[in-house]
Amino acid sequence: MKGLRKVLTPFAPDQSGASGVVYSMGALIVIIDAGGCTGNICGFDELRWRDTRSAVFSAGLRDMDAILGRDELLASKIESAASRIDASFVAIIGTPVPATIGTDYKALKKLISNKVTIPVVAIPTNGMKTYNEGEWEAYKALIDEFAKDSVEDESGEIIVGMTPLTYGDDYMDITLDDIKRIKSSKKLVAASSSGIDACIYSGNDFEIYNPVVRANIPDGITGKTLVCHDEVVGKTIRDAGIDVDIATFFKLHDSIKRDGDRKLTEEDDFVAMVKEGGYDTIVADICLKELVPDFEGKWIDLKCFAVSGRS
Amino acid sequence: MKREAVFYTAKDVAERGKQGIPDELLSGKSLVYSSPATLAYNSPGAEGFGVKRAGLSVPESVMLIVAPGCCGRNTSLISNMPGYKNRFFYLEMNEADLVTGRHLTKVPGAIKEVLEFLKGTASHKLPKVVMICITCVDALLGTDMERVCRKAEDSLKDSEFEGTRVRPCYMYALTREGRRPPMVHVRQTIYSLLEPMEKDPKSVNIIGGFAPLENTELLKYLKNAGIENIRQISTCDTYEEFLCMAKANFNIVINPEARACAEDMHNRLSIPYIELTRVYGTDKIAAQYKALANVVGTVFEDEEDKAEADGAIARLKAEYPDLTFNIGECVNGNPFELALSLARMGFKVEEIYATLAPENYVFVKKLAELSPSTKLYCNMEPTMLYYDISNSKADITIGKDAGFYCPDIPNVSWNQDTEPLGYQGVRDLMNRVYDSLKEDRK
Repeated sequence: MKGLRKVLTPFAPDQSGASGVVYSMGALIVIIDAGGCTGNICGFDELRWRDTRSAVFSAGLRDMDAILGRDELLASKIESAASRIDASFVAIIGTPVPATIGTDYKALKKLISNKVTIPVVAIPTNGMKTYNEGEWEAYKALIDEFAKDSVEDESGEIIVGMTPLTYGDDYMDITLDDIKRIKSSKKLVAASSSGIDACIYSGNDFEIYNPVVRANIPDGITGKTLVCHDEVVGKTIRDAGIDVDIATFFKLHDSIKRDGDRKLTEEDDFVAMVKEGGYDTIVADICLKELVPDFEGKWIDLKCFAVSGRS
Repeated sequence: MKREAVFYTAKDVAERGKQGIPDELLSGKSLVYSSPATLAYNSPGAEGFGVKRAGLSVPESVMLIVAPGCCGRNTSLISNMPGYKNRFFYLEMNEADLVTGRHLTKVPGAIKEVLEFLKGTASHKLPKVVMICITCVDALLGTDMERVCRKAEDSLKDSEFEGTRVRPCYMYALTREGRRPPMVHVRQTIYSLLEPMEKDPKSVNIIGGFAPLENTELLKYLKNAGIENIRQISTCDTYEEFLCMAKANFNIVINPEARACAEDMHNRLSIPYIELTRVYGTDKIAAQYKALANVVGTVFEDEEDKAEADGAIARLKAEYPDLTFNIGECVNGNPFELALSLARMGFKVEEIYATLAPENYVFVKKLAELSPSTKLYCNMEPTMLYYDISNSKADITIGKDAGFYCPDIPNVSWNQDTEPLGYQGVRDLMNRVYDSLKEDRK
């Protein structure tokens, strides 16, 4: 059945992706939820949370807040927090609750902007999409708010999309300064699916590869190979001269897609691809192996935090 | 801008009165700061027993989480724990479902597919109950999940899965401070599975917890009083054994969140109940046991257990006469009652990290008489981002959250699944504190 998962747990959702992008930018992050979504983000999807104190807040919505649409109350709470917390900007991140009651993020942003003295960025995630979409929404909102058409210093490389949700402990943070100069940077690299979207949106030229994977192509790959991960991981391995089909549960851009590549949605999509593909090697998170216990080829474990929660 | 955490002293709060509790100490008045200290508040399922684990405390049950993907994301933490393999399944909602409610029509088919899947696993073990866990979205959509579950049960008729019970579990974080918060509701759901049975005067249930009470004197007292069957949901190995909880002569409620289900059981199954509150004053414990003994029609011989608990307090006091505590709210106990009990024992309490619900004002008022300078912080208050341990002179902290704020001070987390009760709780806590301090001295 479409949407039914019997083996895998749900993948990292868009709101976690959005939070992950702004997490290290010194923002006052407000998850517009009742509490559970913030707990999921902080207690599970945000690797950096246990080691660093950061200004992540839940809106702490209650049923009457949602039913009556008390945006003014929420804005006042944010005003109060912003007056007592040092932050570079306010980031409001959506969840299923505002999605259900049809929150107007543009209006909410305006309402909050009238009460605080720092910029406000609204990221309209809804908890029903995958994390890469949330990362993309975050990049888009940040570029709209902060990116400049030209900056004095255009040197230096900006790598977009090396987030912990895709690459676990190998993540590379992007800063607010990087966002400011993304449109004019001399070297821009898209290191994941959301990075590609962000780079396209910036209008600047960019390359597509993952620097960590490129420097560490997994050992032991032989024969026909399936890489199931973020599309850029698959592309980086393919670009190293390996015969690769790319599978991804996330986005697969037309610019990367080749014959044999596939965007997966259901558990059964992966099972079918493995059964029909005749692969000698699979490079993917080991948690996917439970879906294809009869696969007799070589399995190279390449962790994907967004899939398994392993860093 | 002041970069410091807001606090009030016990004296400040006592003087303001119950109606004047500062907003910074109350829930719902500000954004909720999210730190490891508040994880259990923000996401009760992430630690200990939240709705998901609680729902699966019914023996031979599985859970289908019907929700946006984000609601089930951290379940993999639980799935990897012993006893939860092949017990969680997910029917993910998408944006179209949100508008059309189509996800609800898929529930019966999804249950059948899950049951077929389980039949094909190595154990071939089929569940007796399927819990359907729904979340905030369905709370707002006004979903009648009872009806959806009835339809799902009906759809299993005349199939090999006939008789499988389907029940709703409401993980509605939005209603956390309402009349029926999720952890109250899930207990009602669980015990609603019980059907009337012939009463057994020698049977008693202990309800409220999801891990067994162990090592507590209560079981001994009940056995001495002639109670032969003491049932707790966590010690029932099979669904049939769980159903026998309907035979109980009375229920002992050890968690206030089980009060509503105890009322339900009283009304529906004619099982009366008595409540035991977890407290850390041995005189109060003695009074509670006396009341319980009166109900049972006996006398509990508790002098020895009380003496043992008092002895543990005396040992700690003798070794560390000026011991100073910081106390969090991620503990098996009420942090304000615990602070008051420790102050009455003659210890010092420097800081408490907890949300002050108005019903706990009474403890603060009494604490203010013994320890007026005790500082009250609220875990959830945004300025806790700036809490500075260097201002604290405590020797030991109790509570997982207190351990987070004061990483350099010995900590007794005291939030284990197996909850303490009565004299055993006091004795074990005192001994754990004693051992932690001894260990730290080394």
